[in-house]
Amino acid sequence: MNVTCLQENLARGLGIVGRAVAVRSTLPITSNVLIATDHGRIKLAATNLDIALSCWIGGQIEEEGAITVPARLLADFVNSLPTEKIQLSLSPRSRQVKLVCARNEATIGGLDADDFPPIPAVDDGGTLEIDPKMLREAISQVVFSAATDDSRPVLTGIDLVVEGDQLTFAAADGFRLAVRHLQLQKKAAERQEVIVPAKALAELSRLLQDQEDPVRMTFNANKTQVLFALKDVELVAQLIQGTFPDYSRLIPKEWGSRAVVEVRDFLQETKIASIFARDGSGIVRITFQGGDDGTPGRMTIAARAEEIGDNSGELDAQVEGEPAKIAFNGRYLQDVLAVLDGGRVALETTGPSQPGVIRPLDNDTYVHVVMPMFVQW
Amino acid sequence: MAGQRTILHADMDAFYASVEQRDRPELRGRPVVVGGAPEARGVVAAASYEARAFGVRSALPMSRALRLCPEAVRVSPRFDRYGEVSRQVMAVFRSMTPLIEPLSLDEAFLDITMQTTAHGGAEAAARRLKAEVRRVTALNVSIGGGANKTVAKIASDAGKPDGLLIVAAGAERAFLAPLPIRALSGIGPKAEALLTAAGIRTIGELAEADAGQLERMFGSRGVQLREMARGIDQRPVEPVQERKSISAETTFAHDVVDGSDLRQELRRLADEAARRLRERRMRARTIVLKLRYSNFRTITRRATRAQPTDERDVIAGEAERLLDVVVEPGDRFRLIGVTCGHLSGLEASGQLSLWAPGDARATPAGDAKL
Repeated sequence: MNVTCLQENLARGLGIVGRAVAVRSTLPITSNVLIATDHGRIKLAATNLDIALSCWIGGQIEEEGAITVPARLLADFVNSLPTEKIQLSLSPRSRQVKLVCARNEATIGGLDADDFPPIPAVDDGGTLEIDPKMLREAISQVVFSAATDDSRPVLTGIDLVVEGDQLTFAAADGFRLAVRHLQLQKKAAERQEVIVPAKALAELSRLLQDQEDPVRMTFNANKTQVLFALKDVELVAQLIQGTFPDYSRLIPKEWGSRAVVEVRDFLQETKIASIFARDGSGIVRITFQGGDDGTPGRMTIAARAEEIGDNSGELDAQVEGEPAKIAFNGRYLQDVLAVLDGGRVALETTGPSQPGVIRPLDNDTYVHVVMPMFVQW
Repeated sequence: MAGQRTILHADMDAFYASVEQRDRPELRGRPVVVGGAPEARGVVAAASYEARAFGVRSALPMSRALRLCPEAVRVSPRFDRYGEVSRQVMAVFRSMTPLIEPLSLDEAFLDITMQTTAHGGAEAAARRLKAEVRRVTALNVSIGGGANKTVAKIASDAGKPDGLLIVAAGAERAFLAPLPIRALSGIGPKAEALLTAAGIRTIGELAEADAGQLERMFGSRGVQLREMARGIDQRPVEPVQERKSISAETTFAHDVVDGSDLRQELRRLADEAARRLRERRMRARTIVLKLRYSNFRTITRRATRAQPTDERDVIAGEAERLLDVVVEPGDRFRLIGVTCGHLSGLEASGQLSLWAPGDARATPAGDAKL
């Protein structure tokens, strides 16, 4: 192998695939990055066996070849080089990669590319095209609700259902549930359901930041892998096997009390209350009631820290139904309010130990259910 | 469960005895039995393969074991040490999959369904695990694998010592058929006697047995046993993450007397314990203070609170009150520790759950404990 590319391209590529490099693994080669010539470009790839990231960068290819080298070492080295051309060469039957850039010259010992875990081709189970901005928004609105402990594997994933022209994302960790619908440009031929690890979608979301072109999402036929193809970057993730709980019946159909408030104010007051809730159990108490004779109603958000102090904040609210009181973990409230893009939001409930439902107003593509905390009022 | 699973059962070979032989080279190649002294009516906790050749088995009275193998070297068990090695072994397992279910210090089930392809098959994955356990601990592990727990466990046993046996998909029943029924987990001496009396000696015969007859003998478990004998077993690998307590302790380089240094260390330990509680989303009702005096006398004192807590100041306050009660002028300490016990999850703090307990319909498949 003998290739030349720009330092900034190689550094950027290594930065992208570096997110998939294994930290601790029984398979030492997974802490390496694969460098290979591929149809006139240079392909970089890394995998921690849960996800695999591949990235293609431009370069001049004098001689074809492939090798894997320690990812951290290579990235640290390349990042420190001046923005000039880098030549990578590998003499035949050797595993020593030579790098030459400006007045630096380095040799890095590698492992055979043939021993690198094969990144499965994912191509035969149907493809969808998704707008990158919408996809990024949808991921951000559900990903924080996925479980972080491994004891219930399906809940560490995000449930994706394709049906007709809708793609539905759902995540639940046992205390809260987030569901987001997304409109597809083209109708899907058949209903499909897969569970994608939340970690993989969080990585994808990061990659989507500077994407303009539609993202192609492809499953393999037996639904064990998913491929997200971006411009010059591909992410393959292992799908989680199992059945996602039927969450439709966890979303209450009715409410007894409903308050509509500005998202920004609600978030701000929740943050303030959480400062006081921090040393306690994170409990934030919400009460709301309608105003008399046409005056606006109000919502109070309060918290207290045992032996330290307390706080109560108030905001205008448009209240329907009975006056209500309900307590939540302040963290959970902040999580959901932070991903709603401004505007107004409705909080619906039927009682202090019944689920709280948060819906952005004038937008039925998102719903969030959060279970309250039981407190003595 | 959708699709074919790959389950491994990993079992360390003669674990306690092997750890002793590793740590003490003079014991290598010699029959070693780990257990209490015969005078104290000790029993064999583990026997090296050299001792097993003489018929020495776990749970034998030590006096009997030493009669069977007079040249055996008896070693008192060092459970702290085995626990330490066990943690290293489990960490190796966990580096392959988060889905590990430890059964004891020296054996665990691993669900590697998601990792199999990347490792180039179950056998290659198992080989890698064996090599890694060997590299980290210099000990041998036997690994069995297959589509479920029953097959994996029997396969690991069949290959011992230093074994590696993967039962191919579809070959489960044929693999099990010739084996004696005792090999099946869940069949103890009593069940074996019952089955033998009914003319059932091999797993293959159990697989063919009449369902009604098995049900009369074992109740509803009878049919389940027959399913297992047929190589069918849907039980999931269940990682247990339940911790009974969280503790933090410090051994001083020099003995310390009560004073600001000791108090400061106590608050630091309380802070550490509180932080670890919060990380695990747990709260503790019991706070235990542990003190070791300069003469190695060790005492613990506990306080139980009405409300579970994960707060540093609460834990530190309780621990300091306990210290105030026991400390005498002139006491010198070599160790101080704080343990938080009586743990409960976040739910106990009042956080309600999306799914009602025991709500089977909403529970993810193969997972009973939401």
